[in-house]
Amino acid sequence: MTITKEPSGGYIDASLSADLAAAALDLARKFHDGATLWVMSPQWEPHAHHVAVEFVHPVIMGKRALPSVALVEPDPVAQARVATQPGDLLMAVASADQPAVIDAMRRAPAWGALTLWIGSGPRPPAGAANHILWVDSDDPMVSATGRFVLLYHLLWELTHVCFEHPGLLKPPAEDCADDVCVTCSDEGRLAEVILEPADPLGQALVRTAKGEEWVDVSVLGDVAANDLVLVHAGTAITRLDDAREVNR
Amino acid sequence: MTTHDNESTGFLYPFIESEETDAGSLLEDLAASARGKAAESARLQKESLEEYGPGLTEAGTAMAERFLRGGRLYTLGNGGSSTDAATLASLFSRPARGRPVAAWSLAADEAVVTALGNDVGFELIFKRQIIAHARDRDVAIALSTSGNSEDLMTAITEANRRGVLTIGFAGHDGGRMAVAEDLDYCFTVHSQSIHRIQESHAMLGFRLWSVTQEHMSRPRNGAHTS
Repeated sequence: MTITKEPSGGYIDASLSADLAAAALDLARKFHDGATLWVMSPQWEPHAHHVAVEFVHPVIMGKRALPSVALVEPDPVAQARVATQPGDLLMAVASADQPAVIDAMRRAPAWGALTLWIGSGPRPPAGAANHILWVDSDDPMVSATGRFVLLYHLLWELTHVCFEHPGLLKPPAEDCADDVCVTCSDEGRLAEVILEPADPLGQALVRTAKGEEWVDVSVLGDVAANDLVLVHAGTAITRLDDAREVNR
Repeated sequence: MTTHDNESTGFLYPFIESEETDAGSLLEDLAASARGKAAESARLQKESLEEYGPGLTEAGTAMAERFLRGGRLYTLGNGGSSTDAATLASLFSRPARGRPVAAWSLAADEAVVTALGNDVGFELIFKRQIIAHARDRDVAIALSTSGNSEDLMTAITEANRRGVLTIGFAGHDGGRMAVAEDLDYCFTVHSQSIHRIQESHAMLGFRLWSVTQEHMSRPRNGAHTS
């Protein structure tokens, strides 16, 4: 078995293998902190089920069972919205043009979820997910050839290797210890509206990566549930328009 | 086995592990491992296709002839293989190109599966559906990495009895599937890794689909005879 040399048509090049490694370490860290892995695959629901069963019922005896659930209802965005909590993981197995996945990936920062996107064909825009694990092929049949299965099998295998390195499972120390931290106090944070204001001057309840908070929305005027807004210093300062614009 | 050793001794030396703070070398190891496993997956797929080339062509042709007579495809599997069975069924019923044919996974309907599992026993969840659905022009493909799943074997026996074309995808040494007389074709992927076997099962299924499509797109004389 040659490891250093790829066979012709080798499935994973250096770049994709580095992406997989980084994704696996993030998965292990989040699972270590209590995350649930939510999986959607609007075009190929069996892939979502396969990922979930992989983590819940490992094929290798003695490996930890980890929480993972396939989101296969007709509206996976709505399902992900109510399921996801800050610190969770959201994975999609989908082509880059899937509207529900584009929408979920765009909202995930407000839900506090770390995102992974497995797919093939034209790539999603850079930054569309935290980890983009992509098969660069225009063949529409890729999803039925085992290539995606290989990718999530490898993710599972590498994630469990990471559990053997508990010293590396702690997140990098970046959280601020007090409230003078510029990063936390001055940045616009993505938020999704939960409750619109009960009266014209009232505040709206939003969710961000840190949880729920009441914010002033008087700058924006009307806001509705599920609107995406940027929050700065307790105030919603701008509204993000529909997915097409965000994703160009 | 190194995994087991690490796990069993790690607690004795908590410092060593907890002092590990640079992820760089782990990430390099993981990436190399991913490339090695992917290369093995590709090699195994290629080897399986080469070993079973003639059998896959024969089986795919027989499937196509059944589809042209109105036959439909049932796919069967447990766990991850049930999802691969569903992917395979979708490939036949909703292909991105080519002719769709009727196909579904017998694990897909939770009402049916839980009703049968609860009332008559898990080993009969597929057999009872075969009894309900199968006609002599149909096809059944059973996926089992061990080749031993009881629920698949009883269904295969029943399907064979009813004239269904029966195909098994197995792994390891083929298990019961490799010696089952009820299977018209058995394709065993020679690997000890459930993951690598499943990845090859997908490729075997894809080849069957390709053969089927090729056969069904050929001009035929007397398409409406008998």
